Amino acid sequence: MTTEHATVDAVPAGERSLAETLRAARDAYRAEIRLARGGVQAAEAYSTLIDGLLVRIHEEAAAQTDTPVALVAIGGYGRRHLCLHSDIDLLILFGGPIAAAEERFVKAQLHPLWDLGLDVGHQVRHVGELETPETDNPEFLVAVLDARFLTGDAGVFERFNTLVHGPASVWRQPTIEALCGLVADRHSQFNTTIYQLEPDVKEAPGALRDVAAIRALVALSQPGAARTVPTSSGRLDEAIDEAEEFFLRIRSLLHLENGRNLNALNHEHQEAVAERFGSPGTQAQSQVEALMSVYFHHARIIARVLANAIKEAHPPSSPEPTKPVSDNLRRDRDGISIIDMVRASLQPHTWVRAFQAAIDECCPVSPETLAFVERHGDRYTSEEFFPTTAERDQFLRLLKPTPGLYDRLSEMHENGLLGRMFPEFRKVYCRVIRDFYHKYTVDEHTLLTIRNLSALADPNSTERGRFASIFAELRQPELIVLALLFHDTGKWTDKNHAEESVRMVGGPLRRLRVPPEDIRTVEFLIRHHLQMSVAAFRRDSEDPEVAQQFARLVGTEDRLKMLCLLTLVDIQAVSPETLTPWKEELLWRLYVDTYNHITLGYGDEVIATGQSSISGLQAHRPPEISEHQVTDFLEGLPQRYLRLVDPLTVYDHIRLSRDLEPDEVRLTLDQHDDVWELSVVTKDRPRIFSNVCGVLSYFGMDILRGQAMSNRQKVVLDLFRFVDADRFLALNESGQSEVTRLLQDGVTGNADLAAMLKGREAATRARRRTIRLRSMVHFDHHYSDRYTVLEIGGANRWGLLYNVSRVISEHGCDIDLVLISTEGDRAIDVFHLTRDGAKLAPDVEQDLRTGLEAALGVADEAR
Amino acid sequence: MKLVKAIVRPNKVDEIKDALAACSVAGMTVTEVRGHGRQRGHSAVYRGREYEVSLLPKIKIEVVVPDDMVEDVIDAIMSAARTGEIGDGRVFVIPVEDSRKIRTGERDVV
Repeated sequence: MTTEHATVDAVPAGERSLAETLRAARDAYRAEIRLARGGVQAAEAYSTLIDGLLVRIHEEAAAQTDTPVALVAIGGYGRRHLCLHSDIDLLILFGGPIAAAEERFVKAQLHPLWDLGLDVGHQVRHVGELETPETDNPEFLVAVLDARFLTGDAGVFERFNTLVHGPASVWRQPTIEALCGLVADRHSQFNTTIYQLEPDVKEAPGALRDVAAIRALVALSQPGAARTVPTSSGRLDEAIDEAEEFFLRIRSLLHLENGRNLNALNHEHQEAVAERFGSPGTQAQSQVEALMSVYFHHARIIARVLANAIKEAHPPSSPEPTKPVSDNLRRDRDGISIIDMVRASLQPHTWVRAFQAAIDECCPVSPETLAFVERHGDRYTSEEFFPTTAERDQFLRLLKPTPGLYDRLSEMHENGLLGRMFPEFRKVYCRVIRDFYHKYTVDEHTLLTIRNLSALADPNSTERGRFASIFAELRQPELIVLALLFHDTGKWTDKNHAEESVRMVGGPLRRLRVPPEDIRTVEFLIRHHLQMSVAAFRRDSEDPEVAQQFARLVGTEDRLKMLCLLTLVDIQAVSPETLTPWKEELLWRLYVDTYNHITLGYGDEVIATGQSSISGLQAHRPPEISEHQVTDFLEGLPQRYLRLVDPLTVYDHIRLSRDLEPDEVRLTLDQHDDVWELSVVTKDRPRIFSNVCGVLSYFGMDILRGQAMSNRQKVVLDLFRFVDADRFLALNESGQSEVTRLLQDGVTGNADLAAMLKGREAATRARRRTIRLRSMVHFDHHYSDRYTVLEIGGANRWGLLYNVSRVISEHGCDIDLVLISTEGDRAIDVFHLTRDGAKLAPDVEQDLRTGLEAALGVADEAR
Repeated sequence: MKLVKAIVRPNKVDEIKDALAACSVAGMTVTEVRGHGRQRGHSAVYRGREYEVSLLPKIKIEVVVPDDMVEDVIDAIMSAARTGEIGDGRVFVIPVEDSRKIRTGERDVV
């Protein structure tokens, strides 16, 4: 205790000056705070001493007016939760009109407070003004919820109390709306997550203001009841009290350390608070982690109770009917609930369905079911959640990025299910990594990346439109979510976290029985999740070599799209300020340059003898394939071929190409889920690609992907992926052989495809919807030294490829390479063309453009 | 005292920081900016559609140095930032009337 303090203490309280009284009150409060006892009791004691100061000032000021006046504490001061440097929020309430005398009273009341250096937030009202709620002043509506009479005319206060808090008050509903609006605004400033690495213990989600909001909502929902949170056991009330005590003790320490009303528990303060609190641990870092673990524990409870209180405050106009939504699940007012809990407790593999149903129904999982999962989760090993591929499919379906996925994954994380299914993810639970950039714990950062990705999937959102358009083209967006879920799990240790994360995702991928190709994609995304940032922000974006190198890394446009989106949402989840428009632009430029390089420039990069990838294929070739056959087949094919096709398929293609006769056409047709894959191998001849497209169109197939290429031996390889849109193959037993036969005849020129297609065109057009997308024809001269690259885009419509490729052939051009992709309703086709072995001459190019625009109806579209 | 303001390629920041550190430049301000120089950006093509990239992402580096260090600092920035290609950026030198260190109130300490 200071000497100054001792001197003040020696003076009887009634004789002390206001300044001495305040100093004594603060010194006493400081002493408690230093002992880490600056919680509710200390704040109330300090508030009581401030009350005394105000009463003394009021005694002097009262002489200024004859109008009855009440002095009312509001806000945090009304709750008696004053910290050292909190504002003193006052309502000066007059029982009559406010004139010069009343203004003199206000000055006499406030000036001494200002002279004492207190920050006063004051409101002055005539009580008659309060007959209608001030709906344009939500802060005032909420502040008077905690109004507490200090001194003055009790009758004026009673009138105010009846108007604002009485059973017939018209303030109740506007106040609920104001409070919920302020909570939502405040939470959005913190990205609506409690998992802040440096939380504001007053304002952050799950912190002190939310405690007050819970109590206020309970009071507003049940006028006349005591302001406590009703629970059957009373334990929830205790949990809220404990949280409030913990937050207040921290806040009081922050005020002491900062010397002002600053409430951010930053890294520096965390160490000091952990030490004062005696948090367990031998080193500062472990003490801080223990402190923050307690912080997040309290914040989670508060956030959950507040969410429930907000829901309770908005009861539906008509009760939600209970309805079954799937086996053993129903939807009721609380969300999705398990019906037979005894049965469910024995079937952990069915629990994920509750979360899927909640996404489908756009509602939460009920608190009762969440508690059930939390209670029973520990009984099962991670394998028991995925006993068959059906559970794998169920989980991957859950991971489809949609609005609501983040909330459900957060529920699964908080009740321990996610960690139980994937102990690898539990290793980063509330993991704190200190750096200049990250604002959230590792697990929350991870979940936020998924929230950001899901936002791109929301058709109502115009946010980041160009990246959303990439998202819309992805065939398996759930693989990005899977990669995101584990991309930072390696941060549990100080090793190279990307490689460690790849190691850690191995277990989950094995338990989920993810197909090998998808495993490679997920591992690629995790391993390289920092590479696109490095290339975009730390390399020269204008150097073509940067995009070229990056194109080599990603290999295919599908991987490029996934890595681009993963990078975008990963940066965005670091903090609200990290993803600037500047960074978005650099990322987009690298994406475009790389995409162009992959799709337009790949023709110049052909496979050559001695290349390491050929050596690998030679080393592992089956005994019936000779070294010579491998070399003959691969030489001259674009490098892209090896990036797209796995080694086993390469060997299949080599087998097809062996001893090929000039008029022979060999092909394979296989089904993978809903998609058919066609490989055609033949000697080079005119219009192969065009004729294959024609045959597929004839049978009503929708071509998703198509590629045509040829090697040095003039062997042509055409690869197609298509969907049996008219179910021809599904409904006809002999369908596959019919398609195969016509492909043979079409490619060799033994079938008059033009005549056959003419008859089908009108019928098919009438049956299928017409999409309005502007067509375009573009010739690129930049990306290839060997070819004229033609890009065609527009609505995906029946027979498009056949028509386009016929026009190209009619102009005497050779189609050397083709890359077809259909993304939703849009077709994007890239042709690498030559004529007489060289790039197209300008006049040929112009003629071809005219012909193509006529075939596509560009002029008609413009009208 | 002079304010040396450089607009440079984003990937050159680390090299420039190292070069400035070698000149004993203590502090700097780095800002993400977008703009164009004499070439006024360029056009790019994505899926056959041409679009203008008129404002290119750049980095602005600002340092305040004593008059006798200005030439060394300019040389350091230019040699670290130069690629020889269009778009290397610009360096501006602006007189500074006065400066104070906020914490200590010291004058003209750079």
